[in-house]
Amino acid sequence: MTTLKPGEVNLGTTIMAVKFDGGVVIAADSRTSTGTYVANRVTDKLTKVEELIYCCRSGSAADTQAVADIVKYHLDLYTSQHGEMPTVKVAASLFQEICYQNKNNLSAWIIVAGWDKQTGGDVFEIPIGGSLHRPEFAIAGSGSSYISGFCDKSYRPGMSKEECVEFAKNAVGLAITRDGSSGGVIRLAVITKDGVERQVVYGNELPAQYTG
Amino acid sequence: MEYNGSAVVAMVGKNCVAIATDKRLGQRALTVDMGFEKVAPVTDNIYIGLAGLATDVMTLHDRFRMRVNLYKHREERTIEPKTFSNMVSHMLYERRFGPYFVEPVIAGLEKNGQPFICSMDLIGCINYADDFVVAGTAADNLFGMCESLWEPDLGPEELFETVSQAMLNAVDRDSMSGWGAVVHILTPEGVITRELKGRMD
Repeated sequence: MTTLKPGEVNLGTTIMAVKFDGGVVIAADSRTSTGTYVANRVTDKLTKVEELIYCCRSGSAADTQAVADIVKYHLDLYTSQHGEMPTVKVAASLFQEICYQNKNNLSAWIIVAGWDKQTGGDVFEIPIGGSLHRPEFAIAGSGSSYISGFCDKSYRPGMSKEECVEFAKNAVGLAITRDGSSGGVIRLAVITKDGVERQVVYGNELPAQYTG
Repeated sequence: MEYNGSAVVAMVGKNCVAIATDKRLGQRALTVDMGFEKVAPVTDNIYIGLAGLATDVMTLHDRFRMRVNLYKHREERTIEPKTFSNMVSHMLYERRFGPYFVEPVIAGLEKNGQPFICSMDLIGCINYADDFVVAGTAADNLFGMCESLWEPDLGPEELFETVSQAMLNAVDRDSMSGWGAVVHILTPEGVITRELKGRMD
């Protein structure tokens, strides 16, 4: 799986972000594991780095928390110095710089998503190694491999906000069922120019699935 | 032992015993089956649950069935729980230097109605208990749950509730077990089997 040190806490995870006209929908499971033990079953992996820019964290819990804190600091400084909010591209670029320059010491697979005045909704993905990608929707974490096919088949460009939310719920729900390192609740956030709406989907509210 | 994932627990009640297992079959992080049977009836009065490597679980269930059938032919009677546990221990120790990667848990009722439970390590060291026994990747969690929830002389229905809560909450803290559970309550009148609806994560 990932190259974690023995005893290190793992955000073996399913995270995703989907762009729509007017914003983004981001989603994550809520399991943090140390080996097989579930250290936290209600984790919040959707981390704010600016008012309308969030990152979805997967990989080492410590590494991703540290990187997100540093990026948050830099974005705060940017806002003070420029008098305006940074774009999502700027935030993603900062994540990339840290992840690439420290690639030998980090285990982080991060999705950056949010809303800015220039582009509207925007999604970036920074896998292990520190490359930067800008897809229409991104899935990451150990659980993402089980839903690649589902996402490729279900995604259509030009989906509405509600369709994106259903898409995210279905995808993360499927990954949670199959991936042992993902579980708990599904945390969602919808980011638009008007702000961030957060919601939680519990296990008994998931869309229907075949479970044998 | 952690490759497939499992959780098994057996508890003693008043003139009854319970044995419960989860239903997940995994290959490391991937869940392959959510209906994998880990507990099997040996006789009407003995159930054995096996935690550990799934291929050994399946093979041993077949081997136990054969040995118990042979016993019945030779002895012209059904095997008793304590005798069966000694047979299992012997079969495991035969493979001392190339063991089956399993941890058996046995629950049964003796001829006089006395409840019987025991567990073993992978090379057949028997642990007799008069309260509860646990096995599998969720063993530590099950110990905690059982230690706090169990009390002596629980009736069949109370025992069911207790063993179900112990199982459901233990597997919620283990990424390698869960995805449903099955509980068997053995009483002198018969066996009551119930499926538990749990988190499928």
